[in-house]
Amino acid sequence: MRNLLNFLARYNNLIIFLFLEGIAFYLISTRNNYHNSRVVNSIMGMTRGIEKKINNTRTYLSLHEINEKLTAENVALKNIISKLGRRESSLFFSANDSVYKQQYLHTSAEVIENSINRKRNFFTIDKGESEGIKVNMAVISSNSVAGVIVGCSKDYSVAMSILNLDFKLSARIKSNGYFGSLSWDGRDYRYAILSEIPQHVLVNVGDTIETTGYSAIFPEGAMVGTVSDYEKFGGDFYKITVLLSNDFKKMHFVDVIGNMKKTEQLQLEKLFQ
Amino acid sequence: MINSILRFGLIFILLVLLQVLLFNNIQFSGYVNPYVYILFILLLPIDVPSWLLLILSFVTGLIIDFFSGSPGMHTSATVLAGFVRPYILRIVSPRDGYESGSDPSMLNYGFRWFFFYALLVVLVHHTALFYLEVFRFAEFFRTMLRVLLSSIFSMTFILLIEFYRRGK
Repeated sequence: MRNLLNFLARYNNLIIFLFLEGIAFYLISTRNNYHNSRVVNSIMGMTRGIEKKINNTRTYLSLHEINEKLTAENVALKNIISKLGRRESSLFFSANDSVYKQQYLHTSAEVIENSINRKRNFFTIDKGESEGIKVNMAVISSNSVAGVIVGCSKDYSVAMSILNLDFKLSARIKSNGYFGSLSWDGRDYRYAILSEIPQHVLVNVGDTIETTGYSAIFPEGAMVGTVSDYEKFGGDFYKITVLLSNDFKKMHFVDVIGNMKKTEQLQLEKLFQ
Repeated sequence: MINSILRFGLIFILLVLLQVLLFNNIQFSGYVNPYVYILFILLLPIDVPSWLLLILSFVTGLIIDFFSGSPGMHTSATVLAGFVRPYILRIVSPRDGYESGSDPSMLNYGFRWFFFYALLVVLVHHTALFYLEVFRFAEFFRTMLRVLLSSIFSMTFILLIEFYRRGK
């Protein structure tokens, strides 16, 4: 017993150190669902308030730019609506269902916390479960892919950004339709890597890269970026460097897109796996 | 005693606010992010008991973690910095030793001494932080570059704050 006490007295600092590091590593290892625990959630609630204030200031400074973007987007949307009206009246639908034609549900949200300088970047938006946000919904910022929701609390959601080593996206070259897998290599926040494009495919610098919609998360044809460079990688495939069209350093307003037919698609696909 | 608790409480709040409101928003080219809050660990009195130092490091790291949405990484790095601080103080101790009860600041022990002391602690902290963040040894040298660049920036701001305090 005395030996034990002596031991504890001599090494108490080391023991405290190891104990505290243990807690820290526990936090690190559960990093992906840390915001689910209730304790952390309430503390997050407090810090979020401050973060929102910081972000308000930042948004205010770039209001002009945001307005310009919104107007441009509005015009584009109006154009699409006017086209749709015509098509609908000329087509005949036998299905008597108001949601029949709507596959995607859009919710707009504001980014209140964002990072680009880590290896696993996440951002937080100011909408949560109470606004119908769910895990695995797509996040799009002015028509280009930004990330995927990975966790929701009542009023906030955390999304994994493209700038995350764990992020994978099925993307294709718009001009010829060949698809591959897009991921980030952790280097520059403006570039991502598109792999698995075979070498017989014709690739040009400046080609548009868009989403495929195979994953049932992102709608088909959402802009990802443009080809900025490509090289042969291994025997069969290209390694294509993609200049992301979304500027993660000044992302303020995003659209969260839920696929209303996702369960249906996944269930059907499950039957054949 | 009460006086110094108040003083360090104030320093702590100021540094956390500075880190969260200002330095967390500074990102030079995606590589460099100064972490100035470590100055709080640097400035605690020389004869602060080790267990208190460790617990204060833990709390500091935890609060910074909550604000930057990075669970555990700052906590772990700061606790490590708090653990090695007594050893570093022993390594860099001035010729005639430390005055008991004094703060290891530039004001008390001069620029040269403070520079080496701060540099060692900042390097330990940043190395732990950045390697924990990447969590793999691939791209070893790229991470090393980030450690060095960020250390330079953190040191610059820490020295600026210390110069300001000395000048007052």
